[in-house]
Amino acid sequence: MSPIDYLQFVLAPQVVNGLALGVAVVLVALGLTIIFGMLDVINMSHGEFYAIGAYVALAMGAAGIGFWFLLVLVPILMVPLGMAAERLLIRPVFDSKDRHVTTLLVTFGLALIVEDVLKVIFGPNTQRPPTPIPGATDLFGIIVPNYRLFLIAVGALIVAGVAYVVYRTRLGAMVRAAAFDRNMAASLGVPVSLVYAGTFAFGVGLAGLAGVLLAPIYSVFPTMGRDFILLAFTVVIVGGMGSIWGAVVAGLLLTQVQALASLVISPVWTDPIVFGTMVAFLVFRPQGLFGRLGHA
Amino acid sequence: MLAIRGLHSHYGRSHIIQGINLDAGPGEVIGIFGRNGVGKTTLLKTIAGWVKPSEGVITLGELGLGGLTPDRICHSGVGFVPEDRRIFPGLTVEENLSLGLLQVKGRPAREQRRAVEAIYDRFPRLGARRHQLGTTLSGGEQQMLAMARVMVGEPRLVLIDEPSEGLAPMIVAEVFAIVRELRDRGAIVLLVEQNVHEALSVSDRFHVVERGRIVFSGEAENADDRARLMQLIAV
Repeated sequence: MSPIDYLQFVLAPQVVNGLALGVAVVLVALGLTIIFGMLDVINMSHGEFYAIGAYVALAMGAAGIGFWFLLVLVPILMVPLGMAAERLLIRPVFDSKDRHVTTLLVTFGLALIVEDVLKVIFGPNTQRPPTPIPGATDLFGIIVPNYRLFLIAVGALIVAGVAYVVYRTRLGAMVRAAAFDRNMAASLGVPVSLVYAGTFAFGVGLAGLAGVLLAPIYSVFPTMGRDFILLAFTVVIVGGMGSIWGAVVAGLLLTQVQALASLVISPVWTDPIVFGTMVAFLVFRPQGLFGRLGHA
Repeated sequence: MLAIRGLHSHYGRSHIIQGINLDAGPGEVIGIFGRNGVGKTTLLKTIAGWVKPSEGVITLGELGLGGLTPDRICHSGVGFVPEDRRIFPGLTVEENLSLGLLQVKGRPAREQRRAVEAIYDRFPRLGARRHQLGTTLSGGEQQMLAMARVMVGEPRLVLIDEPSEGLAPMIVAEVFAIVRELRDRGAIVLLVEQNVHEALSVSDRFHVVERGRIVFSGEAENADDRARLMQLIAV
């Protein structure tokens, strides 16, 4: 195979697939990192919220509701769920001394419950909703499924939208201020409890949106959250826990490493490379590539 | 009118504020003096809602502040400039100021803009650095920002903790000029300060705190009271 052919038929498709997976991971990691940066809570149930979003979309899609409407409806439906989870599970233990461990265990328990409930309601089998945008596009000789192109574009828009709200609006300033210094923010009039609940719910809404968007590619099954969340956690740790740009850079970088490494080594070694990177960051640069939300 | 009656507060099991009574009226600056660790900062934090009072009543006008959350206390007209300024990293000067605007609910956008511009007119150095991160300012500028952030909300009661700490004499003079401005606007100012001479120059009255209690109260202009104050805090 000539170098040009290798580039066109092997390398470039792999890069595009890696990019689509990267955007998918960033979408899941975005809510996770915002919740961590804002509340200092490691939400172990984030993957299950992603799964709930996918199942809700699957069920509503089967009931005849169109994909485009679901893209708006499902995240909105996830918000009260997030509010309820924050109010009932996070807030009661939020001020405890062992907040990190307690919230981690509480959300882990919730994840197990949700996973079993999904199994009971929808069964253990994998389901796949139809692709909303069929067909493929020839991009300079590389055939890319249209839906993946759509996912990349929408993912970029969502990241840009979230970054705009967080970094360019007064609401975002309130969120960042409360993330850094809860008491000082409150003393300036920021309704910190509401901001916390809203941020958690927003993160859950983003997970739900990711569920709707990714279901046509990665299918829907009860443990889908657990499978995806490992990579999302890695992205959050490498990017810097709480950093939006960190999640974007690490998400795109790690998935490219995974995609390209699989061309030269056995694919079974790509996961150890990615998770090894996470361990290396935890040991040598625990703050990740970027800082934390609300921090300089 | 600020009225504090029988105020107690704790840090865990430590009984820090042990029955403080205090009154202050509009346009009054009250100096709070005492050695380190006697409860001056905790008193301000208790009024601001950072520490829950375990007993006692705090009222500002008709409003009871005791037990409210800090944001509700802020909306009741209380501004707090804490000891270490607490400028938010990652937020620009303008963003820090914009948070101060939250104190007054329902203020039209045009008025908010005008209030911020008035602050920039008053503090041209903040205006020149409006897009700069707040934490990149010098210590003195950060103190200005911390005070401006409260001024933009037009509070009725301002709690200021050690505003001159670590600042050059010229900046200290500027800080106390701002305290006078707040007083002239009709705000009540509770001023905790180690720089007693400077603080007395802006105070109307003062209290000396020891072990969480007020042990002496005096008039800032009264020479006997000032002499007693110096004895008590051994300056």
